[in-house]
Amino acid sequence: MSAAAVALLDARAVHYRHASGAAEAVAGASLQVAAGEVVGVMGPNAAGKSTLARVCCGLLTAQRGEVLLRGDPLGRLSRRERARRVAFLPQQQPQDLAFTAREVALMGRAPHLGLWALEGPGDLERAAAALREADAEGLADRPVSQLSGGERQRVFLARAFAQDAALLILDEPTSGLDLAHQVLLVNALRRRARGGGGALLVLHDLALAGAACDRLVLLLGGKVIAEGAPAEVLRPEVLSPAYGTEVDVVADPATGQPLVAPRIAR
Amino acid sequence: MTHRSATARAARAVVILLPLVLLSVFVGLATGAGDLSLAAALRGQEPDATVLFRLRVPRVLLAAEVGAALSVAGVALQALLRNPLADPFVFGLSGGAAVGTAIVVAASGTAVGAAAMSAASFVGLLPAQLAAVAGALTAALLVFALGRARGQLDPTRALLVGVVFNSFASAIVLSLEAVLQPDQTQAVLLWLSGTLGYEAMPLLAGAGVALLVPALVLIALAGRFNLLALGDEGAAALGVDVSRTRLLAFFAASAAVGIAVAFTGLVGFVGLVVPHAVRLVVGPDHRVVLPASALGGAAFLILADALARVLFRGLGAEPPVGAVTAIIGAPVFVLLLRSRK
Repeated sequence: MSAAAVALLDARAVHYRHASGAAEAVAGASLQVAAGEVVGVMGPNAAGKSTLARVCCGLLTAQRGEVLLRGDPLGRLSRRERARRVAFLPQQQPQDLAFTAREVALMGRAPHLGLWALEGPGDLERAAAALREADAEGLADRPVSQLSGGERQRVFLARAFAQDAALLILDEPTSGLDLAHQVLLVNALRRRARGGGGALLVLHDLALAGAACDRLVLLLGGKVIAEGAPAEVLRPEVLSPAYGTEVDVVADPATGQPLVAPRIAR
Repeated sequence: MTHRSATARAARAVVILLPLVLLSVFVGLATGAGDLSLAAALRGQEPDATVLFRLRVPRVLLAAEVGAALSVAGVALQALLRNPLADPFVFGLSGGAAVGTAIVVAASGTAVGAAAMSAASFVGLLPAQLAAVAGALTAALLVFALGRARGQLDPTRALLVGVVFNSFASAIVLSLEAVLQPDQTQAVLLWLSGTLGYEAMPLLAGAGVALLVPALVLIALAGRFNLLALGDEGAAALGVDVSRTRLLAFFAASAAVGIAVAFTGLVGFVGLVVPHAVRLVVGPDHRVVLPASALGGAAFLILADALARVLFRGLGAEPPVGAVTAIIGAPVFVLLLRSRK
């Protein structure tokens, strides 16, 4: 990376433990997301993926190491400024919201609003565009509590899009999404990346990770054990020991992208 | 369906509710224990004019202020605890206020207590009411301190601490009542059940101005209350300082409740029923719910008080307005609860 192109996200040797005495959830992990890049974080359960994602967006503060957003240390940014630079989509969304999908999308505008938190016409437009981008336009006036899991996920994606942050950190964004909407999400992220944005995705679906991301980071025990282009990381000799099970990788006959499948004896 | 801005929806709610408030003010001024001709009173004819301007106007104003304060505080507590059943009095505030009053009343029997009381009265303060506010705020502090887990106010924990504290407080009040004279017990009981009295206009004006501060703080926090519905993490990711928002809201709400309690004692159910009813009509957006609840709460308590005065004619004695709000509030609350799903 040249000195001129400052990374959207630069996490340097980050350490985080949830409670004193507990093992480190993140133990010296580093990763970068440059403008125009979609980066996938993978790893088995409890590898520290979600914790690292939270440290990167400032919800948790690294006990050692540092996180830079566009070159500025996270700790020196105000909460609102931070929320204008990075949008975070957690793994679990609240289910019992009485707010409509449009109101939830509008919540993404919060870091841009003034003291009385009143949205202007521009904010309404941004929220409507975000709903379109997540294919949730038709849900706009329905209460979120009445939506299905996948529909709800699209609404919360719209909320993240509406935030207008260059960097998106999405924890399991495809959970609950059907195939068409997974493709739609990946396309939306790629489109944003072409426009100078970037995304960090925590993904369990390794095939999707290979298809969606420019670069993959494999975590194990809070450390980065492999990093690189999908073809470099998605190899049986890398994945099998990390996940503790036999994994096959074949090239997709149509696209040549690596397809990953666990080997299940029967 | 076009989406209206929060400002437009709040304005519409105010336009719809304002006639209701005016109507309830009219009902409040027109009803009472005695017969009164509003026309005669406005012409300055006695005794109607004195009854209207010295008694009913201050009382309606007090009802409006207290109703608005309790409703706004209810909305804030429900939002910050993310629990629609939160009520200003669930948090131990009622218990704290009761203990404060009971201690002052009991102490007034002693020489030191009596001296302190007369000193306080001398500067125009009402010792029992001040003690109530102090007790309520102490309880709020206690709930806030004990209701925390990992440095954050934990809604469930805070609610439990409040409930337990209320039981503890009522035990103390019961113990104190053992040493009180029967007439003192009567006074404490009346106050605990919530009564609207006749306060002086300057005092009411002062209370109104004092209530504006917490009300404005809470309305400024309304946008953040909406984000809290996303969960602490969801709100924090959108730039909300969750702990500070909770702290501010908690103390603004406690101040509003304290001012209300100082005048009327414990008027229950207003902070629970009014926000619920308002949400059914205007939806969940706190930027609309807060101002609408202020108006709805004012109208509700004015009407409840008018009802209490009408009941005087049948009962020969006026029931405390807190009893009226509870008698109306409890079944309405059950109905609202059942209509939610």
